[in-house]
Formats: sequence, structure tokens, C-alpha cells
Amino acid sequence: MTTLKVSDLHVSVADEETKATKEILKGVNLTMNTGETHAIMGPNGTGKSTLSETIMGNPKYIVTKGDITLDGESLLDKTVDERARAGLFLAMQYPAEIKGITNSEFMRAAVNATRPADKPIPIRTFLKQLDHNLDVLNMSADMAERYLNEGFSGGEKKRNEILQLMTIKPTFAILDEIDSGLDIDALQVVSKGVNEMMSPDFGVLMITHYQRLLNYIHPDQVHVMMGGRIVKTGDDSLAKELERTGYAGLRAELNLDVDLVDEDVPAGNGGR
Amino acid sequence: MPKAAVLKKDPALLESSKFASEPQWLTDLRQRAWSKIDDLEMPIFAKINYHSWPLLNLTADPGINMSIPQTVVNESAAYQFASVGQIVAKAKLSEKLIKQGVILCDLATAIKEHGDLVKQFLFSKAIHFDEDRLTAANAALVNGGAFLYVPDDVEIDEPINLLQFQDSRQTTNFVNHTLIVAGENSRFKVLQRLATVGETENPAHVMVEIVAAAGSYVKFSALDSLAAQTHSYINRRGYLDRDARIDWTVGLFNDGNTVADFDSDLVGVGSHTEMQTVAISTDRQTQGIDTQVTNYGAHSEGNILQRGILLGASALVFNGIGKIIKGAHGSKAQQENRVLMLSPKARGDADPILLIDENDVIAGHAASVGRINQDQLYYLMSRGLTKEVAQRLVARGFLGVVLSDIPMAEVREQMIAMIERKLVNGQRTE
Repeated sequence: MTTLKVSDLHVSVADEETKATKEILKGVNLTMNTGETHAIMGPNGTGKSTLSETIMGNPKYIVTKGDITLDGESLLDKTVDERARAGLFLAMQYPAEIKGITNSEFMRAAVNATRPADKPIPIRTFLKQLDHNLDVLNMSADMAERYLNEGFSGGEKKRNEILQLMTIKPTFAILDEIDSGLDIDALQVVSKGVNEMMSPDFGVLMITHYQRLLNYIHPDQVHVMMGGRIVKTGDDSLAKELERTGYAGLRAELNLDVDLVDEDVPAGNGGR
Repeated sequence: MPKAAVLKKDPALLESSKFASEPQWLTDLRQRAWSKIDDLEMPIFAKINYHSWPLLNLTADPGINMSIPQTVVNESAAYQFASVGQIVAKAKLSEKLIKQGVILCDLATAIKEHGDLVKQFLFSKAIHFDEDRLTAANAALVNGGAFLYVPDDVEIDEPINLLQFQDSRQTTNFVNHTLIVAGENSRFKVLQRLATVGETENPAHVMVEIVAAAGSYVKFSALDSLAAQTHSYINRRGYLDRDARIDWTVGLFNDGNTVADFDSDLVGVGSHTEMQTVAISTDRQTQGIDTQVTNYGAHSEGNILQRGILLGASALVFNGIGKIIKGAHGSKAQQENRVLMLSPKARGDADPILLIDENDVIAGHAASVGRINQDQLYYLMSRGLTKEVAQRLVARGFLGVVLSDIPMAEVREQMIAMIERKLVNGQRTE
């Protein structure tokens, strides 16, 4: 079993123009083990994406206090590629488009990044796995030969993130709003891909606005984030409760002093 | 005028360039060009200073090595034409193409066997011998090259591949001239692969003329990888008649200093060119690339795309020139010049130059000199690729946009390998 632990994490970002820093995360605590599925829900602007990018090691986010550890070893001084090779994966909300590199050569390079230089994955083995994964995700074979995310629709990009997840097989995957912009059919396909990954050696952290994703990927734990902290943790009944009461209701219940971007809108509507 | 830009006019040099028993018209052409060399200026390319390079350091006593290296023999398998310096290693067209009247041979043979055809097009449509000192030097001293003629209405699916080596196994002159004539409504692809054998320091003068008759469509691609010790001048020019089209895709991967002049003259109504060039400069190398489209014909269209990467302390200048002549109504000239800097010590330039003398035209440009996109780098690294590998992938992707336009798989692989090698070497010295 592997454990990813976030303790008392404080994170700031610098405004690109004014250079003024602003604290987004104000003491997040979270412990996940492999074999578990966690979901983080919360209103817009509460720091959910900041948390996922910080765990992955995006240099734009500055950790001012606290720690992130993998089996007790701090990740903070590791670069994003080192964290990826250590077993972390982030399915991004807005993956970059890169012309001139095909999807399949990129994924092969990524798979080989965790293997010894003199032992790359045999091409046939790689292609066989790729074909299988494309099939699970209802993706046509030519998607693998297209340039990386170049000209992909929003839905195709999300599928492509899951395709990479299935191909790279990390220890922990963070799915940052993998459901946004997906219709029900696409959501089912993407969920199928994630569910196929489930094993005692794999853990998932889903970030979402929507309770509906949790109908397809069942979480063991649901965390609600507000104002840069996790304010409540429960099982998947918590997601359903939020659906009824909205974040404003939870705020009142917990007597929190945080601003909500969108007041009085139930979370079931995606917080909009 | 720097001494390097002056040709030492030894009559033995002119004599040594002549083909065996060449016709009088060619000897006359040489003589006229020879006598003008001193009066003509070196060509001027904005921001490209190459005047101190030993481009005119030609020898009056060139050595000729008749043997063909085994590597050339091996590599020539996929080509219809192969040469090492002045020696022809291969010239072989399929029976089918020969029956259709297609001609492919070295320039000396063409002048002997197809003299009227060559005379009609050599230095007469695309490049003129008296444009500047370098065109005159090429006309006077041409000592090798290829000739490809595709008759009217002939369409060829398979690309015609030319492999031309500069022979630097000894001190000699490489003054190469390839003439490509596309008959009316012909369609074909040509690939020119240019490289060096040997370690001696010799300049390279390479010219390609493509004369595209009405309605023809030529897809020309080239991969250049001349040696580090070679200073090169490369001039590729298209002359396009009515509704003709030439698509150029050039990978400039020379290891030595290079000045390149790529032009298309859109003479005919409705003619069209796409000119793509990608280049990498490394170490202390300087490369200046001047790509020009001149719209003479109404409704003609010319688009330029240039992309380059700089490493080490190198310099790379891309000039993109869109020139629209009065009378070219409804013509279009677009260009995009992009330079990616992978080293703080390198110097890159992307200069769009629009010279427009007509009103109802569409012309535009985009230019950028930038560093690697950090979001792309982060994305690749988030999948476990090291920074170096991610950088190389982004850089390769940046240049790789032209790969699909190169018709030979072997040459595509060579280009990828060259990009990789140059990037790895460049990263090592950072």
C-alpha cells in the first residue's frame, strides 16, 4: 500500500502582472491510500485546482507551509517530472496542444520515462495495450496518430487524458474536473476507463463540481473544500446532501465565514 | 569589399569547370558570366552578413576522386539519381517513365544529349546569370548537377529522388546546378538530398531552377546537411506560369555557415506557391535564409512559412519577403516566420518584409522570436519526461509540422534524427 499525504498545506500564487501573491490554500489535510477513491467537491474559486496542481508540482504554485509526502517522503523539492516518475498523474482541465508530436509517440516516451534507458517497452507490446485502451474509450485508432491534443474537441481532450492515464498506469491519479463539458455518453466512457484502472495498487482523487460523476465512479470518501480548506469529510451520502442543501447550506451549518462566488446555487447544478 | 568576396580570376579555374566537349553556347554563357563577375555586386540580404565567408575561395586545380564511397552506394538504393561531386553514381528511371518521355540525368549528359531543351531553360527563366556576383560565378563555373524534364500532361505518383553529395575528400569546387522543367499540366514530386562526404574545407554553390509551365504542379522537398567546414550558398528559384503551382519544403540542417536564397516568381495568372523552410543553427554557426515570393500575375498566391531553432551561440536570420508588382490584381501574399531560442547566447531574427505596389490584394505576416512554451513543457513533464526530453519533443514538434510534406520515409527519419542529434548536442553544451 502506498500513501499520499497532504498536511497543513498552505499555497500562494503570484499574479502574473502585479506580482502580488495571494494565499489560496490555507491549511489542507488529506490522506489517501492506494485502493481508495476520493472526491473533492467545492464551489468555484475555492482552491480545488490549486490543490491538484500543487500536488503535481506546477511551478506556478508556491508552497508556503506544510508538506506533501508519498510514503513519508516529501515531494516538495521534487520537480513535476520526478513526481510523475514517482507515480503521480494529473488529468488536466486544460491540457496543452502540441503540434508536430503524435499522441502515440508521446505516450511511448512517457511509458519509457519510468523504464531503464536500455529497456524501452517493445513497440508491439505498447501498440497492443494502446489498441485495447482506445477500444475501452471508444476512440478511433487515428486518434493515436494525431498531433497531441491539436484540434481536439473538449470531449476528445478529456478522453485523451484518460487514455494517457490508462497507458502510463500511475500509482495515484488526480482527475481535475474530468467530467466538465462531457455529455452523459462520454462521461460513461471516461468513467469506464477509470474504473478499469481500479486495483489495490491504484488510488484516485477526483475533483468535481458535479455529483453526477460520482454515480459512475463511486468514492470511498467525499471531501468538501471551501475557502482553501477541507471543511467536511464523509462518504458518498455527503455528495447527495450537498445536492440538496448547496454550499451555502453547508456554510451555514458549519458556521463558516467564506465568500461563495455563486451564492445559493445547489451543487447539483455544478455550482453555477 | 572584403577579400573573401572577391574571386581570383585564374583562367585555369574557368577551364577546369567545363564539361567534356561542351557545346559552344555553354562556353559562351560561361565566358559572358566570367567577364561580369567583378562588375556585379555580392547579393544583399537584409541583416545577413556573409561577406567575410570564403564562398569564392575556389581552386584553379580541383582534385577529382572517381571512387564512390560505399555509404553513397548504399544510400543511393532509394534514389533515382545519385552523384558525388562531378561523378554520377546512379541515374535510373523506371521504364514506364522513360516511355512517357521523362528525362533524368546529370547536367553534363543533358547538355550533350538534350542540348536544345537545356539551352531553352538554363539561366533563362528562373535565375539569370547576371543578377549578382554569385549567380554569375555559378553560370561561369558550374561543374555538376542534375536535369529533370517531365513532359506535358505527364503525372507521376512516385517521388523522383535526387541524392547529391559534395565531394570534400580533397580540395575541389562544388558548383552545382539542378534544372527541373515541368511541362504543361504535369504533376510530380521531387526530393533533393544534399550532403557532404570528406573532411576538406570547400565552399558549396548550389542552385536549383524549377520552371513550371502552365497548369503544372511540382512538389519539391529538400533536406540539406552539408558539413561543418562547408560554407554554403544555396539558391532555389521557381518560375511559375499560368495556374502553375510549386510547393517547397526545405529542411536546412547544414552544420556550417549557410546563406540561402529561396524565391518564387509568380509570373502567370493564378499561379500559386507554398514555401516552407525549417532550420536549426548550432554552436557558432550562422545561417541567413531569405525567402521571397514575387507576385507578377493577377490572382496569384504565395505563402511563406519559416521556422527555426537556435542553440549554442549561433545566429539565424529569417527574412520573408512578399513583393506584389503593380498589375497583380487580386493576388495574395501571406507569411509566417517563427524562431525558437533554446539558448540565451544565440541570436535570432524573423523579419517580414512586404513590398506592395497594388491595391486590391491581400497581404499579411506573423513573426515571433520566443522561448519554449512553458505550458507545453509542464504538460509533457507531468507525464514523467525529463526537462531535456520534453524540450526536444516540443522543439521537434515545432519543426515537425513540415515532415508530412517530405515524400520519402527514409528522409523523414533522417530529418528527425538530425533534429534529435542537433538538439542533444546543443543541450549538452548549455
